[in-house]
Amino acid sequence: MAATYAPPVQALIDELGRLPGIGPKSAQRIAFHLLKLPTPDAERLATAIVDAKAKVRFCDLCFNVAEDLLCGICADDRRDATVLCVVEEARDIVALEKTGEFRGRYHVLLGAISPIEGIGPEQLKVRELLTRLADASVTEVIVCTNPNVEGEATAMYLARLLKPLGLTVTRLASGLPVGGDLEYADELTLGRALEGRRAMD
Amino acid sequence: MIVQRIKLRDFRNYPEATFDLTGGVTAVIGENGQGKTNLAEAMAYLATLGSFRGVTPDALIRVGSEQAVIRADVVHDDGRMLLVEAEINRNGRNRVFVNKQRLVRARDLLGVVRVSVFSPDDLALVKGGPAERRTFLDDALVALAPKHDALQRDVDRILRQRNTLLKQAGGRVSPEVALTLDVWDAKFAETGDELGRVRAALVANLEPALREAYSALADRETPAGATYEPTWRKEGLAAALAASRADDLKRAVTTVGPHRDDLDLLVNAMPARTHASQGEQRTLALAMRMAVHRLVADQVGTPPILVLDDVLSELDAGRARALLGHLPVGQVILTTATALPEHARPDRVLRIAAGCVSGNQ
Ligand SMILES: [Zn+2]
Repeated sequence: MAATYAPPVQALIDELGRLPGIGPKSAQRIAFHLLKLPTPDAERLATAIVDAKAKVRFCDLCFNVAEDLLCGICADDRRDATVLCVVEEARDIVALEKTGEFRGRYHVLLGAISPIEGIGPEQLKVRELLTRLADASVTEVIVCTNPNVEGEATAMYLARLLKPLGLTVTRLASGLPVGGDLEYADELTLGRALEGRRAMD
Repeated sequence: MIVQRIKLRDFRNYPEATFDLTGGVTAVIGENGQGKTNLAEAMAYLATLGSFRGVTPDALIRVGSEQAVIRADVVHDDGRMLLVEAEINRNGRNRVFVNKQRLVRARDLLGVVRVSVFSPDDLALVKGGPAERRTFLDDALVALAPKHDALQRDVDRILRQRNTLLKQAGGRVSPEVALTLDVWDAKFAETGDELGRVRAALVANLEPALREAYSALADRETPAGATYEPTWRKEGLAAALAASRADDLKRAVTTVGPHRDDLDLLVNAMPARTHASQGEQRTLALAMRMAVHRLVADQVGTPPILVLDDVLSELDAGRARALLGHLPVGQVILTTATALPEHARPDRVLRIAAGCVSGNQ
């Protein structure tokens, strides 16, 4: 379909359409909503995006969102350095922290293995994980990827990759809502799944 | 469980329509092309969240509209009332509300309403390709237990991931690709073995009912049967995938697994697709639907809503009697283009013309 909007409007629609979960129709709807906003409201949104982008970065060690070189968790030396919890996204850390059950550190993969989306192990922070594990302080890796097809495949991949290193690799106990994301699970369920984690074969 | 009333908005040819149904037999009479099958399709959507005509849900939205809505008043056996609302959107997710509460996942609706649709298109179960029969088995599994839907979707998703990886590999296997492929193989084997197991168990359970239904419908004593024996099940899917890996890499597609299976149908010990007469094929297709309807009724404890879409008119009086006599009957919706067959005794008659309904309470 040929672009029939003025170039600035079309550019806005195109950018919105690149966001996850936003199709062309939704992009159009949001764009026209934004155009109707009072100017200060629109500016606030634009500033929030630019600010977040400028001030927030990924932690050098674990790829959690951070305001400094290291995120708050990596910088906190009261955290247990022997246990590492591997998650897909930084938002999963928020969900796990809410349980209050975990005192170790994290490693964010920034996704899960999914050939359909062009994501293989090379596109994830797997090499960086191996580098972190090279110094022998970590003894257990808990794989907390999502309980869906891609998360389970990623967990199995990591188990097969890490087992030869002599580490204990564990997976959250079942009982999480199947097919969904970690963030769908309530704190109690997630805490229980963490407590009941099992070694992966 | 019965559907007391179903309201459609911008669904297929209906801008707006209401059908008041009875707990017994509701007959729906209308010329062809007036929307009888569309009503059947809306009922079936509540049970499967898909179309039994094998089209994607957006084909259900009336031309020129953005959204179709099916609204059903469901009454459970214990008297509980549920208002089920299904939205089909041209853009964006299809949503389901139960008693005005949105279901986090629309597919959580599966198992709330069960529907058996009999249609003249069922002939494709016998005459069509293996995909028709796989869908038949998989739909029956979901009607028996909604958890099978998650299993089927996992199998499909893993298969798509594996096929994409095979294409990306372009015939070459680096150690990196081999390790990832091993993982998808293990996942496909795990879920594929399970799907094969539940399909085989289903067919074993279905066969006696199929034989019985077929002999009740057939004029002569001809035995009918069905077998599901994919060769990969003997060694297990993991071994079969290992054996076919080189071939799969070359062809960039998964050549073995439940997505390639067939249900073998027999009449008189001969393959029904090639050796049975048209009449025998029709009878067998009908018997297959009857067998599932009976199995679901027995295992779930209450018969699914029976939708007979234009099928009675095709049958002679004896077969129509055999059909109705052999089915565990709860709520029935019977559509016909012609006058009602003599043996059908409806509790209510609705007439439709150009998407307008008359005869409601
Ligand atoms: Zn960090």
